[in-house]
Amino acid sequence: MTHHELPPDKHELLKKAVRLEWLTIAYLLSAVVLLYFALGSSQAMKAAWAEDILSLLPPIAFLIASRVRRKQPNSKFPYGYHRVTSIAFLCASAALLALGSFVLYDSVMKLVKFEHPPIDLVKPFGDSPIWLGWLMLPALAWSALPAVFLGRAKQPLAKELHDKVLFADAEMNRADWLTAGAAMFGVVGIGFGLWWADGVAATIISLDITHDGYKNLKVAVADLMDKEPTIVDHSRPDPLPLWVRNELMLMDWVKDAEVRLREEGHVFVGEAFVVPVDNDDLVGRIARANEHLLDLDWRLHELVIAAVPEIRRPEPAGEEG
Amino acid sequence: MVHRTVRVALLAALLAVVAGCGIPRDPESTLDRVRGGTLRAGITASEPWTTLEGGRPGGVEVELVERFATELGARVEWVDGSEADLIGALEMRELDLVVGGLTADTPWQAKAAITRSYATTRVVVAVPSSQPVPDDIAGLRVAVESGTDAAGILEDKTDAIAVRVPDVTQVKGSAVAIEEWLLADLSLRDTGVHLSKSKHVMATPMGENAFLVRLERFLIAHQGEVPALLDAAEAS
Repeated sequence: MTHHELPPDKHELLKKAVRLEWLTIAYLLSAVVLLYFALGSSQAMKAAWAEDILSLLPPIAFLIASRVRRKQPNSKFPYGYHRVTSIAFLCASAALLALGSFVLYDSVMKLVKFEHPPIDLVKPFGDSPIWLGWLMLPALAWSALPAVFLGRAKQPLAKELHDKVLFADAEMNRADWLTAGAAMFGVVGIGFGLWWADGVAATIISLDITHDGYKNLKVAVADLMDKEPTIVDHSRPDPLPLWVRNELMLMDWVKDAEVRLREEGHVFVGEAFVVPVDNDDLVGRIARANEHLLDLDWRLHELVIAAVPEIRRPEPAGEEG
Repeated sequence: MVHRTVRVALLAALLAVVAGCGIPRDPESTLDRVRGGTLRAGITASEPWTTLEGGRPGGVEVELVERFATELGARVEWVDGSEADLIGALEMRELDLVVGGLTADTPWQAKAAITRSYATTRVVVAVPSSQPVPDDIAGLRVAVESGTDAAGILEDKTDAIAVRVPDVTQVKGSAVAIEEWLLADLSLRDTGVHLSKSKHVMATPMGENAFLVRLERFLIAHQGEVPALLDAAEAS
């Protein structure tokens, strides 16, 4: 099936991203099962386990979105299905924030109540009993190491594809060593009789989950509010609207121009307002300009150029966001 | 950079394993205090696991705890009370151990560290050895001890007719729902219908992991003696 959003050279990258996300899901499931069997009564283990389960959400959101969004616009959905990415992202971040807060509350309460976590013996290999804490460490290592490599592999793809869900997912994977490291600290702490180490580790992990949720929720809401487009890591505004405006200003029939674009999933759509010097061949000029501008960047998906008598520019925003 | 962090974490974990003797430790030093001293044990009567005949502790679990204390060079100081009282004292670390026929599905999980189970018992439907084993217990009149969960399970979950009696060991010549370990003594034969399963455990203070692990090692080493202890408890 062809993909009407992406240029041909990006198709391969998308396929690779989809493969990596399937691999991520398979790997995360293995980590979730492994951690489940080593959970014990450690709150830090529970938090790490919750994070691994929640880490499943962004890849699932990505895979669902990558299927739905390639549908062509139709009479019921005349703007197409690009936004499905943002909606998937919103749901995943809301879940992350809600569950992260719950685990955070639980962890802090365990510290406040001076709860001493008990960890006992297990007999996984025939007859020799072993302290469950020792099994937690390799399980945690498995929950972190491959994730870090998957995250590193996905991040450049996210940038190439201008995909924020994939980017957020890669960031979460890359930060997994923090979770595993904190949980290991908690487990080793319990081993040395430091009962609070577990609660502290769990608090750190749940803060990390909550922070991820909050950060991503902010981005998802801003996207759905049609905030000015940013580059994929949200560090600065995307220069594309400026490029489009400059191209328009460089056309000899344009006296003044203003461009506003919004992100719909990974593509940009929007309007350009132009004040023409005269009305000669206006339809032809606009059609040629449109064709030229859509060639600027693959992400510019749809542009409506309107000829107007004068331009009203939006107020500059304050610092709030 | 990330690699290095992970590697350091793994190395730290490995070092911890190498230095692993003496791990886990108790946050409140229970094992150290009990060793060569006093083991404060709570008991609530639950035959045959714990008995308090004439105020004297006895039964399978009392025997196990006494042997455990001997291994640690400690003497046992017994305190009897209700489960709630004993667990409350355990939670405040005024007791080191509580026994009383506790099972792995105990609701005290949040207040006490429960050991691995050291014995599993089942209530089974049995017939006298002289009689053939029925293919199906549907419609069969089965004697079951009144006031037990087995009576309810027999009533609700099987098609047998539950006949409640005060003491199932006194039923001769009919089908009974009875503890599996009593079958041989009473010349009964298992019909293959198992009504309930209990995994027997003891309770220790939360987070005293060295003590918990030491007790579990003892229980694992001695769980083979439980059937003999059960028979002894039954005989007395």
